[in-house]
Amino acid sequence: MSRVFITGMGVISAIGVNIPENRKALATGQCGITKGTSFPSRYAGELPFAEAPLSTEELKEKLTIRDAGVTRTTLLALHALEEAILDAGLSDEELVSSDTALIGASTVGGMCLMDEMYRDAHKTSGGSEFLASYDCASVNMFLQAHFKMNGIVNTINTACSSSSNAILYGARLIKNGFAKRAIVGGADSLSKFTINGFNALHILSPEVCTPFDRDRQGLNLGEGAAFLVLEGEEAVATGPAGSGATGDKNFYAELTGYCNTNDAYHPSSLAGDGPYLAMEGALSSAGLQPGQIDFINAHGTGTENNDAVESEVMQRLFGVPPAFSSAKSNIGHTLGAAGAVEAVYSILNLVHQEIYAGLNFTHPIPETGLHPVVTYRRMPIHHVMSNSFGFGGNCTSLIFSKA
Amino acid sequence: MFYIHQTACISPQQTFSGTGIDLSREYESADNRMKALEPAYPGIPDNILRRMAKAVRMGVGTALPLIRTAGEKMPEGIIIGTANGGMEESVKFLKQIVGYNEEMLTPGNFVQSIPNAISSQISLLSKNKNYNATHVHRGLAFENAALDAAMQVNEHPGNYYLVGGVDEMASFHYNLEYLKDSYKKEGISNRRLYETDTPGSLAGEGGAMFLVNGLKDQALARLQALVTFHSEEEGAVAGRLRVFLERHLASGGLAPDLFLTGENGDQRITHFYRANEAVIDDNIPVARFKHVCGEYPTAAAFGLWLACQLVGGLPLPGHMVKRAGIASANYKTILFYNTYKGQQHSYMLLTAPSL
Amino acid sequence: METVQLKHQLKKQIIEFLNLTSLTPEQIKDDQPLFGDGEGLGLDSIDSLELIVLLNREFGIVIKDPKEGRKVLVDVNTMVAYIEKNRTK
Repeated sequence: MSRVFITGMGVISAIGVNIPENRKALATGQCGITKGTSFPSRYAGELPFAEAPLSTEELKEKLTIRDAGVTRTTLLALHALEEAILDAGLSDEELVSSDTALIGASTVGGMCLMDEMYRDAHKTSGGSEFLASYDCASVNMFLQAHFKMNGIVNTINTACSSSSNAILYGARLIKNGFAKRAIVGGADSLSKFTINGFNALHILSPEVCTPFDRDRQGLNLGEGAAFLVLEGEEAVATGPAGSGATGDKNFYAELTGYCNTNDAYHPSSLAGDGPYLAMEGALSSAGLQPGQIDFINAHGTGTENNDAVESEVMQRLFGVPPAFSSAKSNIGHTLGAAGAVEAVYSILNLVHQEIYAGLNFTHPIPETGLHPVVTYRRMPIHHVMSNSFGFGGNCTSLIFSKA
Repeated sequence: MFYIHQTACISPQQTFSGTGIDLSREYESADNRMKALEPAYPGIPDNILRRMAKAVRMGVGTALPLIRTAGEKMPEGIIIGTANGGMEESVKFLKQIVGYNEEMLTPGNFVQSIPNAISSQISLLSKNKNYNATHVHRGLAFENAALDAAMQVNEHPGNYYLVGGVDEMASFHYNLEYLKDSYKKEGISNRRLYETDTPGSLAGEGGAMFLVNGLKDQALARLQALVTFHSEEEGAVAGRLRVFLERHLASGGLAPDLFLTGENGDQRITHFYRANEAVIDDNIPVARFKHVCGEYPTAAAFGLWLACQLVGGLPLPGHMVKRAGIASANYKTILFYNTYKGQQHSYMLLTAPSL
Repeated sequence: METVQLKHQLKKQIIEFLNLTSLTPEQIKDDQPLFGDGEGLGLDSIDSLELIVLLNREFGIVIKDPKEGRKVLVDVNTMVAYIEKNRTK
C-alpha cells in the first residue's frame, strides 16, 4: 500500500491565523486563552475561552464570502483550507478531480448558532438563512460546493478525536486506492451548546487550564480549524530513482502510523485501555518501538480524569515517556479541530526540529510524577506521536515521521 | 468490497427479525410521519436503556444481536453512519439551556446527544475496544460508513466488522426540515406517496446494521461496488451511472436484474430518478422503498438491508414495484441508487455471494 | 413535611428525574446504596451530577463540588437527612 505524505497545511487558532503565526506563538510560549470574550453566553467574561482572533464579520470579509447561511465554523474551516490548498500548490484541476477526497470533522457544526436554531425550530413558517447549516455536515457541504469538488466527501464526528480520525480516514482512502490525494482536517467554533454541556459535566476550569498539573481544574474550550493535504507516494519526490516515487512534490512529513480504538468504559470519562491500545497500535503500524518516539503531542485537556489516565498510560507503554506537552495550554480544547490542529503542530516539530513548552505547569501529578516540557528547545526529532481521546471512548493515535 | 453475513433492521415496518420480517403489510404513515416500530430490546439492561436516545436504542438494538452471532469472533470494528445522532436529546438539552438560563443543567441529555453515542454505546455494551468510527455526512453518512468497512475488509478480510446507518426523527428536527420544505405540506398517506406531484416527502426513521467480512462462505450477499458524489446536475448524475455500469457490471459480465431506488415522491428531484431509469435497459424492473421507511439521511441503509433480503430470496412486495420489466422470483444482481435532496448521490451494487 | 413522606417523594423524584421507568418508589429501600451494582441501584457518575441538579431544582440546595456531592448521595436516608438540614425551598 502507498505511503502517505503531507504536502500542505493550514491552521487558524487562538494564537494565530496561519502556520507562521501559530509556530511563532508556540515557540515563544504564547497563551491564547482569556476571560475576555464577546461570545454571547452568561459565561463570557466568567470562564476562560480560546477564541480565534478574527470575528465572524472579519472572516467573511477576508474570505469574500457573501453567501447566506455560512456559519462561523464553516468560515474557520474555509480559512484553514485555503491556506492548505495554497501551501500544497494544488492546481484547480487537482482540486476538482474525482481522485481528490475531502474529509472533514466537526462536533459543533452550525450549532454555534444555538439561539437561531432554537428560534427556527419553534417557527411554523419562514425560518432563518441558517436552516440548512446546523448539522456537522454543513461545513463540508459548503466546502465541496464552494470548490466544486468531485471526489469522496465525508464528515466524521467522534467527539474530541474527530479530526484525527479524518486524517486516518483520508490516509486509508489513498492506501486503498479510492483517492490519490485527500484534504483532511476539522473545524469547531465556540458554542453555547458545548459550553453548557461541558459545564454540566463539571469539567470546565474556572481559570486558564494547567495540563498535567497536580492542581488542574479542568479544560478551557477553544475554537479553530486545520487542514492537511495528504498525497500518495506517486506524487512526491521521496528519493533516488527506483524508490517508487515519480512525482516532484515536496512534503513536510510522512504519516507513518495510526490507530483508532475504543476505551469501552464510560460515555464521558476514560479508564485507560483505549488510549493504551491506540498508542500501542500506532507504534505497531509504524513499525516503531516506544523508544523511537522523540516527542508526544499529548491530548492533555487539563481535566482530572484525562491527564491522570494519559500519564499512567504513557508510563505503562513507554516506561520513561519521551518529552511531551499539551498544546491545549496555548489554544484550549478545540474539540473537532483538535486532532488536525495538533497534527499540524506535530509536523512543525519535525520540520523545524523543535519542541514547544507546555504552559501553566507547576507541580506534577503525584501518582505519576511526570513533567511536561516547560521550555522551548531545539532537538533532533524523527518521530512525533499525536494523541486525541474523546467522549464515547473514541481514542486515536497518529505518528508523523521526518521527511 | 465485502460479504454480508448477518443483517438487522428496525423501521416503520415489520423488519426486526425477532418479530418475523413481513413487508407485505405496508404500515401506514400518520400525520406525514413514519415512526419506527421499536422492539422490546431484551439485550439492553433497563438501567442503560432508560437514558438512551431513540437513535441510540435503534443502533444498539440492531447491533447487539449481530455481535452475538459473531460469537467469539468479536467485530474488529464498529462503524456507524448517522446524520443527526441523538437529535431529540440535543433538543432536550437546548430547552434546559434556555429554560434555566445556562445554569444547573443535567448532563445526561448532552452526552446522549453526541452522534458518536451510538457507536460508543455499542462498544460499551459489548466491551469492544477495537476500531470505532462515526460518519455524519448527512445523506451519505451510511455510504461513507460502508466504504470505511470496505477498506477495513480489504486490509483484513478475515475479520468481522459491524457497519450500519441510523437516524431518528426528532420533533425539533422535523420542524426544521418542514421549514426547509423537506416534507409534504399537504396531508398524504405513504401508500400514495408516488402519486403526488408536489415538493417534499414523508419523514421517516430507522436503523439497519450489517455484519460483514471478506469471506464468501455462508454469506447472504456481496456488496461489490459503492460510489458517492455531490452534484445538482442531472446530466452529471446520469453520466456517473454510465461509468458505474461499465466499470462494475459490464466489465465483469454482469447485468442488473433489478434497479432499486430511493425515489421519495418529492417532485423536485424525481427527474434524477427518471434520468437514471432512462440509462438502464427497459426490461430491468424498477422498485422503490421510501414509502415504507420514509425519508431520512441514512435511509440508504434500509435500502441495502432490503436488497440483502431480496438477494436472500424474499419476494419483492408488489407495492414496491414501479416498473415490471422481466420479473424474477429471486433477484441476484441489484443496482441501487439514492439521492438525498438532489445534492448527494450514491450507487451500490449488491449481488448474490457467488457472483 | 414528615421524613417518611419526604423519603417517598424523593424516591418518586429520583425515578422521574433519572428515567428509572422499571422501578416504583416502593422498590427503592431507604438504605439501598444508590451507586454500584449488586445490591445497589446501579447509578453512575453522570447520575450523580443529575441528582445534584435535582437537589438544586427541587430543594434549592447548591452543591458546587461533585466530590462533596457523592458524600451526600449514598442512599435515600443520607439524601433526606441532608435535604432536611439544608433545603431552602
